[in-house]
Order: sequence, then structure tokens, then C-alpha cells
Amino acid sequence: MGYPSVERRRVLAAAALGREVGAPGSEQADPLRAVMGDIRDISPHLVIIETPEGDEERLVIAPWATAWHGGELVPGDLPVGSTVIMRTLRDGRVVERLWAGITRLTGTILSVEGRKDVTVQLDCGPHRGRRTIVVPYRATGRILVRHARFEPGFLFDAIGIRKDGVSLALLPATSQPAYPARAVPAPPPAYAGLQSRISGTATWSDVFDEEDRGAAYPMVERSDVGCSDAEVSCVGLPYLAIGSMLQVRNACTHRSANVPIVACGCVAGRFCDRCVECDTSPRGRIVELSPFSYVELGGDLVKGCFNAQIGLG
Amino acid sequence: MTLVLASQLPALIVLLVLGAVAKVLTVRSGGEVGSLARLGPAALVPARVEVPMLIVCAIGELVIATGLLVTTAPIFRWMAVAFFAMCTYVLLEVRRRRPDVGCGCFGEVSGAPVGLRSVARTTVLTGMAVLSLWAEEPGWLAFAQPSWFVAAGIVVLLVLSPELEEMADRLRYRAPCEQRRGPAVEVTLARLRSSGPWRLHQEQLTAAEPYDSWRELCWRFFAFERRDGADVVFAVYLSGRRPAVRVAVVNAEDSGAMPVYTPVSA
Repeated sequence: MGYPSVERRRVLAAAALGREVGAPGSEQADPLRAVMGDIRDISPHLVIIETPEGDEERLVIAPWATAWHGGELVPGDLPVGSTVIMRTLRDGRVVERLWAGITRLTGTILSVEGRKDVTVQLDCGPHRGRRTIVVPYRATGRILVRHARFEPGFLFDAIGIRKDGVSLALLPATSQPAYPARAVPAPPPAYAGLQSRISGTATWSDVFDEEDRGAAYPMVERSDVGCSDAEVSCVGLPYLAIGSMLQVRNACTHRSANVPIVACGCVAGRFCDRCVECDTSPRGRIVELSPFSYVELGGDLVKGCFNAQIGLG
Repeated sequence: MTLVLASQLPALIVLLVLGAVAKVLTVRSGGEVGSLARLGPAALVPARVEVPMLIVCAIGELVIATGLLVTTAPIFRWMAVAFFAMCTYVLLEVRRRRPDVGCGCFGEVSGAPVGLRSVARTTVLTGMAVLSLWAEEPGWLAFAQPSWFVAAGIVVLLVLSPELEEMADRLRYRAPCEQRRGPAVEVTLARLRSSGPWRLHQEQLTAAEPYDSWRELCWRFFAFERRDGADVVFAVYLSGRRPAVRVAVVNAEDSGAMPVYTPVSA
């Protein structure tokens, strides 16, 4: 998106209000690091990848590491050539979790076709366009049981894999909210002053740029982002801008990091669902993270969400 | 006796006009089509005719109100009776079929689920409309000669209006400024231009329009370029008529603490 001075905004705002400029990243003692690349070669103990910049990297696979490629696998069984996102320890040298070819399919259902393998067209929001996905027959039961209103106008959220250029939905990422996408419940009335921390669920989306660390936030002014779908959320969120720094805390792993807002979360704001990753979270998606930020906060891409707290970084 | 018969016309007219205006305002401000689905008559029709439904309702109310005000033609009186009788029926139907939606009688303020009070109100209004069937003078005359009966009618209606409490609650428990929709960018810019800090820096700016503007919490920021290449940033508080304005000058090369991520395997 074309916001040329977004990075600058933080500096200018901090100068005007006389506050500290927040720095992105985590201050954890043992930081996790996300690494992404195409698998060149893989064995049970070593993976060789080609990073998006074209460099070759060798990483050690920890003995306890697990992998996912449409189902849980032994890391050595991952197909060569697939794109993999990895959670690594020790400065990105030791891999402990691998997700190959994973994609997330979030949006509003536009059309549903087919009887065995169901083809669904999704509207992924004004910035992200439309996507055609396939729910293979073996996954329809699992997907449909969590999507009670599988019809145009209702929300859809699933996790799947990319295979031969087709996105296959395999796991439901949420219990579908019971309302149509255009009828998001209003936030509860705000009685007292603003809370400094807001709890809800944090999800991830793969529509960010590769290796981008950032977040999409629902409550940004429509006129600022030129998006008529913004400002929708069932949580009482404060207004922030693209460029503001959010402090996101994973309530399940107790990791926290400063993540800049880089996009308008107009789709995430429509989901008034809960996350049951470690406990039952309050309703509402408060932030949608890029895969890298999500993984570095300790989230599991297959689970699709974690209970989060946000504050201004 | 004619005084009694005509006495309820002002209340009916005012309510009809208020209802129409509130509905039109709701349609105009309601960017979210879905929010209309929680309002009375619109809840009973498919989503794509929600907006036309509210507008038709509003036009009908205006026509009846004008008719009652200026003429004594029985057609408008009967229309009023039919309208309020139909409203009573619709409310009962909404209450039965969609117990979660509001009546929408006054647009978005009537968002609370339909209760017995709303139903009682339309029943009383139907009664008033029936009463005025036999009135011999047009509505404006009743406006010109107010009586205690007018006041009594209005008091009964006020008691039966759940919207009053809703509005009082909204005033008492306003959302904090950080969560409220702010004034338009142009309004805030106009407020900035009438402030002291603006006059202080105005001379040195290259352009009168900001090159970037964004809102964070209760502040709206405007960034301008200065002749010597530095940035001037104004922060305008979004609440209040004469808001606080803060200003800072930041050098172009002063990018603050902006660490870049080191590559993955350093």
C-alpha cells in the first residue's frame, strides 16, 4: 500500500507529543526467529533452504522438531521445493517447527460450487482482492461442521496448503460467527476511561509481504486509509494509524513484541470470535499479524490464533 | 369538545416528523448496511430492500404529517390511523419473530429490543389518531391554541418512550475520545489554522496543505514540509472546540531510533 511516510509518522508523532519512539521487535531473552524459504534439500537433521533473497542457508533440525504439510509429519518427509516457514532458536540456527506450503483463507463467501470437492470464491477485503479456493472432499466434514452457514455473505476462515497453484482448505480456523459479514455486532458500551490493555484474539494472515513483520489493525480512520470497510470491530478499540506501534503480548506463551501497524484489518475486524488456544479469550480479533510476527510471538500457524493483549508500544 | 378531539394532532405531527427525520439520518449516516438489520421494519425484509424500506417509511410519515397539519381531509386522518395501527402490528410481529431487534421507530436510537412500552406507545398513538378523526380543525390551529390536553398527550408519550433513557445513558456514558469517531479531517485542519502554533510556523511552510495526516488515539497529526527541508508536525486534540495544539520541528535526517532488523543468519 502506498503510505510513503509511514515509518516517519512514528518519529513525528513522538516528537510532537514528547514521547519515546517505540522500536519494533522483542526484548525477550531467548527470542524466537521466523525463517522462510524454499526447501532445496532436507534430511532428518538438516534442512537447506533458499531464502527469498536468493541466498542458501543450512539449518539444524532439533531432535524434537515437528513439521506440518497438510498434516503432522516428520521433518524429513517434507517435499523438496515447497515453501517453508520455520520457528527457530539460537539466532535462527536451530529449527524446532516447520510449516510447509501453509496458507490461510480468510474472507467473506461470495459463491459456493461443486458437490464433492467444493469450490468457494472468497472476498478477502478491499486490499486483498478475491480468491478461489477448494475444499477437498476429505476436508468438507471438518470445515462444514465449523461453518454452519456455508453460503454467500457469511464469513469463512480456514487453514490449508498451496498445491500446484491451488489453495486447498483443510482445517477450520474458527467457529464461523453466526451473523452475516456485513452485520458485525456493535462493541459493548465503554463506561470508564480507556483501558491501557485490551484483550482478544490475535490471528495471522499470509497476505503480508514476505518476511514482513507487521500487523493489520481494524480501528483505523476510514479517511486515512481510504478504505470504507475499516472502523469495524466488536471490541471497543482505540483509533490508531498505519505506522503506530502496537505492543502485542501472547497470553499463552507470555512473549511480547512491538509490532508496527502496516495495514488496515478490515476483514479481521468482522470476526467476533474467540480463541481457545490456552484459555477462552474475550471476543473479537484485535490484531491480525504477519506470519513472521505471529511465529516470533510463539504462535502456532496451524492453530490459527492465540489469546493476545495489546497496548500502545 | 372539538378542543379535545383536535388536541392530539400536534403530538402526532411532531412524532411523525421526528420519526421521518431520524430514519433518514440513520440511513445517511449508517455506512454499515448490516446495522440496519437490527432495526424494526427493516428486520422483516431481505437485506437489499432494507434502505428503501426505511426511506418509504419516512416518506409516508412526512406525507401524513403534512396532511394532518394543513388540511382537515379525512383521508390523511384515516391514513394516520392505518399507519399507527400497522405500526402496532409490525411491532408485535417484530417482537414475536425477532425478539433481539429494536423497533427503529426513531432510527438508530431505538436500538433496544421492542418492549411492551414501545407497543403501548403505538397503541396510544393509534387511539390518538382515532380521536382526531372527528376533529373539525386542521393541525396548525391546534398548534396555535395549545391546551392542557396537548401537554397530557405528550407526557403520556414521553413516559412510554424507551429512547429517552437510551439518550440519557448515551450522554452519561460517552465513549472515551480514543474510541469515538472524530470530526472530519477538514474540520480539524480548520481548527489547527485558527491556533497560535500555526500562526507561528505558517510563514516557513512550503505548502498550505499537509503532505501527510493521520489519527492516533485522540490526536490528529498533520505533517508539513518547511522551506529548509525539515518537517513540521502539528498534533491537534480531537475533543473540544478550542483544542490543544502541539507542534514539533524534526530535521529530515533525524530519523530517531529506527533499528533495522538484522538478516536472519548474521
